Amino acid sequence: MIDYFAIALTHGLLVLVCLRLLTRGDLDRDPAPEEEVPLEAEPEKKAKWRVRRA
Amino acid sequence: MLDLFLTAFVGLILLMGLRRPFVWVLAFLYVDIVAPQKISYALLTNVQLSLVVFMLAVVGWLFFDNKQGARFSGRQFMMILLLIYCYFTTQSADFPVEAADKWSWVWKSLVWAIFLPLALRTQLRIEAAALVMVLSAGALIIDGGLKTMAGGGGYGALKLFINDNNGLYEGSTISCVAIAIIPLALWLAKDGTIFPANSKTRIFAYALIFAALLIPIGTEARTGLVCAALLAVLMMRAVKYRWLYAGALALAALLVQPLLPNSFSNRMGTIENNKSDQSAATRLAVWKWTLGYVAEHPFGGGFDAFRGNKLEIVTSDDDGFGSNSNKIVDSGRAYHSAYFEMLGEQGWPGLALWLTLQISGLIQLEGVRRRLRKSQAPSDRRYADLALALQQGHFVYLLGAGFVGIAFQPFVYMLIALQIALVQQVRRKTAPVAVTERRMQVPGSPDAPLGTATPATAN
Repeated sequence: MIDYFAIALTHGLLVLVCLRLLTRGDLDRDPAPEEEVPLEAEPEKKAKWRVRRA
Repeated sequence: MLDLFLTAFVGLILLMGLRRPFVWVLAFLYVDIVAPQKISYALLTNVQLSLVVFMLAVVGWLFFDNKQGARFSGRQFMMILLLIYCYFTTQSADFPVEAADKWSWVWKSLVWAIFLPLALRTQLRIEAAALVMVLSAGALIIDGGLKTMAGGGGYGALKLFINDNNGLYEGSTISCVAIAIIPLALWLAKDGTIFPANSKTRIFAYALIFAALLIPIGTEARTGLVCAALLAVLMMRAVKYRWLYAGALALAALLVQPLLPNSFSNRMGTIENNKSDQSAATRLAVWKWTLGYVAEHPFGGGFDAFRGNKLEIVTSDDDGFGSNSNKIVDSGRAYHSAYFEMLGEQGWPGLALWLTLQISGLIQLEGVRRRLRKSQAPSDRRYADLALALQQGHFVYLLGAGFVGIAFQPFVYMLIALQIALVQQVRRKTAPVAVTERRMQVPGSPDAPLGTATPATAN
């Protein structure tokens, strides 16, 4: 049972990875600096807390 | 059922490769790590899956891929040299049949590691390869972690999918590798674009890391515990609140101790009291034998040269009434250390070449990290974080390699290929900047960040 779960979970994610790659234009060519995906934005709560402290 | 599922999975991935041939490269990473043909018992066992996928990956790159900017790095040349050197030592090996057997998988692992950086020529490809490696190893780690939680662990008793003691399916090897990929899993959760950073990605990554930490407990491999301790120290460098981190770590260690199985605590106790432990005493005896062996054979004895050793092992045990010493005679014991494996099998030149390959990687990754440290460009931040993750993972590997014979572990060579691809990628980005900087050089001006510079061709 554990074997089935581990295989189903990871293999499902592997299929998802490949499916997402099929539609990505930047797989074969790096994007120009202005087209880059930005890093994760700071969570709103944390940012508000910082403003309050300042 | 499992057989059909795995066959359908492999078939689907290979079909996707028809649209984007790079997927075949990812398919080989998966096949080499998980070895689905071993888990399967009918359909996949009838085809030379590894060979077929390898051919598809190479043909896909050779005929359908853009090779612009692809070039060999110094570390790839080192691996070519190592490959040639190993070929010659195999020809004059002490045990030709066994040596040929090991050579049959070592050369494939090296050739793949030499090829892989050529295909990983964009940021997304590097991320995709890292993700597929983590998820593939994750299949074994999640399986082992859950079985450990269910009480199915024990030294040499934790069964991962199949009863196999090769590659990542070996207890000490998976313990070391599971800990070594923790930084990579954290990087993917933080900087990934295929699965962008969100709560679901983070939950999966933390669960995977938890499972990875359970592997040394499940396999009762002391190497894993030592590796985890090193990683905890290495991560101090990257965390923002060091004292808080150290306190949380100490608290977690205290809380976890009563929950650990007795057999695990007893076995870990032998790390300190190694005189009474036969396994530790055997290692020391094999290492001493290896040093004597290379004094007479400086170019090594070829793969599996350890089979020629004859050891006299003395263990002492203090039971409170006096110390008892036991003498055991043993032969053909494995090296239990990648360093002594290289020394005994490939001699001093082989060990020197292997060490240069490992250490040069650590230095190059440090260079990447320092160069991009102050840049605010998103890709530069990702590369700097990845360099740190790969460096931490490699330090963990080099420590684990001190106690396990994993000098030619294919997964580690894939990590080396990732390191090379990252360094090459950063160099490619640096090249146009260097030209721009030369054109616009102002004496004393600080270096411009890489990501903000305009490529020379656009001027």
